[in-house]
Amino acid sequence: MAQDVLNALTLGSLYLLFALGMSLAWGTIGILNFAHGSIFVFAAFTAHLLVQEVPLPLPAMLAVGVLVGAVLSLLVQVLAFEPIQRRATDHRKAEMQILVGGIGIAIIPLAVAQYLTRSVPFGYSGSTFRVTTWDWGFVRVGNVQLVTLVAAFGLAAVIGWWLRAARPGLALRAIGVDAEVASMMGVDRRRLALLTMAVAGGLAGLAGVLLTYYLGSIAPETGDAFLLKAFAAIILGGVGSIAGVVLGAMVLAGIETLVLVTTSGTWAPAIAFGVIFLMLLVRPNGLLGRQEVRRT
Amino acid sequence: MNAWYFSHLVLIQSTFISFLLALSIQVPLRAGVFSFAGVGSYAIGAYTAAILTIRAQLAPVLAIGAGMLIAAAAGYLLALLVARLSGLYLGMATISFALFLGVLATNGGELTGGATGLYGAISTLTTTHVVVVTVVVVLLLAGSERGAYGRRVDAVREDPHLAVSLGIDVTRVRRRVFVVSGALGAAAGGMNSLLRTTVSPETVGFHLVVTALTMIIVGGALSWAGAAIGAVIFTWLPSVLQVVGDWQLVVYGVIVAAAAVWVPNGLLGLAQDGWHRLRTRRRRIPAGGAAAPVTTVAADPEQELAALGGPAAEARP
Repeated sequence: MAQDVLNALTLGSLYLLFALGMSLAWGTIGILNFAHGSIFVFAAFTAHLLVQEVPLPLPAMLAVGVLVGAVLSLLVQVLAFEPIQRRATDHRKAEMQILVGGIGIAIIPLAVAQYLTRSVPFGYSGSTFRVTTWDWGFVRVGNVQLVTLVAAFGLAAVIGWWLRAARPGLALRAIGVDAEVASMMGVDRRRLALLTMAVAGGLAGLAGVLLTYYLGSIAPETGDAFLLKAFAAIILGGVGSIAGVVLGAMVLAGIETLVLVTTSGTWAPAIAFGVIFLMLLVRPNGLLGRQEVRRT
Repeated sequence: MNAWYFSHLVLIQSTFISFLLALSIQVPLRAGVFSFAGVGSYAIGAYTAAILTIRAQLAPVLAIGAGMLIAAAAGYLLALLVARLSGLYLGMATISFALFLGVLATNGGELTGGATGLYGAISTLTTTHVVVVTVVVVLLLAGSERGAYGRRVDAVREDPHLAVSLGIDVTRVRRRVFVVSGALGAAAGGMNSLLRTTVSPETVGFHLVVTALTMIIVGGALSWAGAAIGAVIFTWLPSVLQVVGDWQLVVYGVIVAAAAVWVPNGLLGLAQDGWHRLRTRRRRIPAGGAAAPVTTVAADPEQELAALGGPAAEARP
């Protein structure tokens, strides 16, 4: 039982690291990045390529993941999403174009990774970091699990605090409420958008490297599954709410672990879809999302 | 010609089926409804047709027709359920509906054949039937894009609030669009499983959503012709791209991304734009005199339409 709870928390932390940046970008600068899953896999894959040449310790691997994720995310923002937002005539059209552009871009790094690995799962056998587990009597804890838990909850707390207390965080939230009024108040939308996308990509890269250590190896196709689960977590908690993403990721991971433990597991993929659908029907703003104010 | 036809028969068939699937997403999109329910209907149609053909040996017309009826009814119910959603939220809800059906098929036990799917759905359906169905569908859709009804749908897409104030029943248009999309998707799915004689849960995944969407975006979302262009391009692209070998998918991704960023109205929008420019230039040349510019501006019906928010409005730079 305690083991299942710990495993659910670890899985939830990985979902959280992945979904945190996505939710932030969607809730503030209005960008729903479908290339997020691809960035996540490609960051983990770059770390794999590097570790085959040079034996690296865990912190260096994490840094590589964060860096590659952030750079890729920035590239997507500058090359695709900025031109779309600049050109689109209205908000709804821009949203859809961003979605489709993201889907298109997502194919590219995934195809490169699939080509180089021949779709065989890759791992970090060359790393100097050794995955171990400690037996505490009632539960077995892995060192990767501890790092994941600390990273996920720590980073969520830092980002939540920054959004609430720091001035740039306030500015970013202002963009989420009304982008035009925010820029009239002197908020540099472009710089904050780039920052948000870099943070989102970095978090995705971090999640990718940690997931690869946790599972031993991952296939390039893992990104798509994570993308849909992240949606479920975000919608469950409420778009743009940091506490909501934490709650959503943990609840989703909890239900999935419960179903995996108690049934044969063939229904597990349906949980994310069911959660998305039901939440959108019952409470589209999520458990902790703010009510949308309409004045038209 | 004949040898070429037979060696490319599978590609020709899948062009028409992809075209119908793309239409099942294009029809809602034209009314401003961002719904992927057509992909779910594809699954409903594929499984219904296969089950009825294998178990009851029904004629293909009845097997596919039954799938279309079920999917249309499911579309209507779905429209009632998701009535208050719009935009990305509606897209996500319908994507999860479609993918949920895939998981349902995996867990369907004997009825759906589980993870391996169903085999041996042999019927008398031929390519000619598929072509006839497609032509009928295109004629009906082309009719709905013209005249008063076409303008009404355009109004619902461009400004639903304005459409309501003009006396258009927006809710009814949206529901109708869900029903039509369900029937189209089921027709595509049913014909596909009868032509291939098999169906498995893998046929309805996230990749099918991506394929259908990319066809419409690259071709153009505002008319059936855009879906046709997209279906032809993306069905035949893999055989053309054999030159680049293993980098096929990379080229594919670059094309989709570039189309989404630079050609938001698709190739059809690009063509309409070019045609419009060509025509206005030709009209100006014979007029010649000083009064010409005034008359051309006033007599350009497309510009008037654009001012009213017609289909060509966004195609303008």
